[in-house]
Order: sequence, then C-alpha cells, then structure tokens
Amino acid sequence: MSADVSDLSLVRRVQRGDKGAFDALVLKYQHKLVKLVMRYVRNPAEAEDIAQEAFIKAYRALPQFRGDSAFYTWLYRIAINSAKNAVVSRDRSPIDYELDRHNPDESYDMQGRMKDSETPEGLVMTDEIRSTVNAAIEALPEDLRTAIVLRELEGLSYEEIAAAMDCPVGTVRSRIFRAREAIDRRLREVFEGGLGRAEELG
Amino acid sequence: MNEELDSQLSAMFDGELPQSECELLARRLSRDEQLKARWGRYAVIGASIRSERGVRLNADLALRVNAVIANEPNIAVRHVERKATRGTARWVRPVAGVGVAAGVAALSILWMRSQALNDEVVTAAVATPAVENTSAESDNSYVVPRPSPRSSRVPATQLANYVVAHSEFSSPVARRNLLSAFMTGETGTTGTSNGSEEGSEDLNDDAKNPAQ
Repeated sequence: MSADVSDLSLVRRVQRGDKGAFDALVLKYQHKLVKLVMRYVRNPAEAEDIAQEAFIKAYRALPQFRGDSAFYTWLYRIAINSAKNAVVSRDRSPIDYELDRHNPDESYDMQGRMKDSETPEGLVMTDEIRSTVNAAIEALPEDLRTAIVLRELEGLSYEEIAAAMDCPVGTVRSRIFRAREAIDRRLREVFEGGLGRAEELG
Repeated sequence: MNEELDSQLSAMFDGELPQSECELLARRLSRDEQLKARWGRYAVIGASIRSERGVRLNADLALRVNAVIANEPNIAVRHVERKATRGTARWVRPVAGVGVAAGVAALSILWMRSQALNDEVVTAAVATPAVENTSAESDNSYVVPRPSPRSSRVPATQLANYVVAHSEFSSPVARRNLLSAFMTGETGTTGTSNGSEEGSEDLNDDAKNPAQ
C-alpha cells in the first residue's frame, strides 16, 4: 500500500467538487513543497508564494489528473516548473540587474539576507514546534519512538517497519498512532497555552 | 473523537489504510474541521522530525490556498461543462464546416452572376452610345469610355518608364535589352491583336473624339 491510495481518495473527492478534500492535501504536502521549492529560491516567503501558486495550479489542473502517477509526483512537477519560472523571471528583473551592476557588495549582501529572511516570529515558531516535538519524542517509550522515527525520518512502510521491529503490521500501525497522539497532545498543550511553554513543559 | 477513527486517520496519513476505508475517511476528513486540524498537525510532526524549515501550526500557506480556492469555480462543474462543450463540438464542427462551405459556394455563385450581369450591362452601355453617338453627334455630348478589356495589363511604356526610373539598379546593357524587349513586345502585341480588340480600339477612338 502507498500514499497513492489515500491521496487518490482525496483527489477523487476534489474532482467531484469537494474543495475541503483539497485542503487536506494542502495540509499534508505544504511543508514538503516549500522545502522542495527552497532548493531553487532561498527566500522562505518567496518559496511559500511559489508553493501557493503550485497548489492553485494543481487545483485548476486537477480535472485532467487521471491518477497514472502519484498525486505528489504530479504536484512535485508543477512546483518545480513554478519555481524554475520564478527564478527565470526574477533573473530577468531589471531591479536585480541594477543592484548587481552598480553595487556588487550590496547585491551580495542582498543575496545573503535573502537566504535567511525568515521573520523572527517565524523562526521562534519553528524552533518552538521543533523543540516541543523533540522533547515529546524523547519522552516516548522506545518502541513508539523507533516506530515513528522509522516512518517519518526513514520513510519506511508499515511492512518494512514490522520486519525491522519484528512485530505484526497492526502493532506498527498502533505504535505510530500512539506516538503521534502523544506528540500531538504536547503540541496542543504548548500552542493552546501560548508560545514559550515548550521549555516549561520540557 | 474516538480512538479508532484517529488510528485510521494516522494510517491514512501514511497511505496504509485500505482503499475502502480511505473513501469513507476522505469524505469525513473533508468536512470535519477538527479531524482536518489533527491531520495538519500530523504533517507538522513529520516535518519537525525531518527538520524541515518554516514549520508552523495553522500555516499561512494552507489558509491562503484555501482562500483562493474558495473563490474558484467548482472544478466538478467546470469539468462537466468542458465535457459538454467537447460533446457539442464533436457534432458542431462538421456541421459548421459544411455550413461555411455552402456559404462560400453560394457567395461564389452570386458573385459570378453579378459579374455576368455587369458584362451584359457594359456591353449594352458600349453598344448604346455608339448608336446615340451617331444620332446625337451635334449635341456636343460625350460618351464615357468603355473600360478597356486590357486594363489589367501594364502597358509596355509604363514598364519602360519604371525601368528608366530605377536604372541605378541595372547595368546599361541589361537596361537597353530590357527596353528594346518592351518596345518589341508592345509592337508585337498590337500587331497580333485580334479583330475584336481592333474594333474596341476604334470604339475608344470614337469615345475620345466624340465631336469628330
């Protein structure tokens, strides 16, 4: 079994006019897509804009998606093309050219700043989430921790994890679910209580 | 929220839920905001474990995409409309093609008829002044000259003028040969013209000098 089946169920719903199902696809793939686009553009805000454009293009083109390839593969291609187009049009921008020509140091500085132009709030939020998740993973029993790490970090299927952990597939499914629930509970505690609680709870 | 449903959601997120269960859960997921929020947090957890950048809860990106798509026309409707248009186009195109062909044919026939009528009118107009001319020679009236049947042909003298005007682009020998060819051609044309053409020349002469 692969992600294709669950994605395809959502895609078919979108094709039948259910916009909410597309929302679920966006929630699932937004981080992956931004990460992918950031291989082409270093500015996170620009990467988000390109990812947004890619999602909207995908939505509009979804009636033509037949499911011959996985949804993410198809979305991936759209995002890559959008990112390449954005890079080409940015390179043609006369403003960038003027900056490069008149003041090479300034342009170098601009590029440097563009690489890390995430807002302070954004950086705090990302760090807060990451530290909360890491703390929650550390607190997990070892079997749950191994299962979730093998799934999320190594990308193994339930069957592969079952083989690695020498247990039934059903157990793997249960362990991954319980690991997620424990981490999710911690995340909700932190974010419903406001930023800065990660350290208190950790 | 029951645990079995959450467990199914987790398995669906990993693409490990059987298809039949996926269909039902996808339907519920698209409508249940709480379930969708949990689904979104599962994505955040995965991204955090992989140390992906820019991980947020309630990320702007999803909200922005959602806002744009909310204003988009429903793709199911668009799809049906496109299919209907394609279906219509399937029989409209050949019919339209036949219609266009028939229209062109009808126009051609009408045009040819009008041309034939014009020729008759011209012939009549040419014939009539000859009669009027002879009967009313003393009225100082004149007859509009009949259009020459050779009007579309450029006269050799005009071509010769053109060659002389653009002589800077040709060598003197070539120019001379060309000019002599025009003159010969003009003479030849006049010499080989048939009787009807000669007749029309005469008529034109009459038209030029109505007082004679």
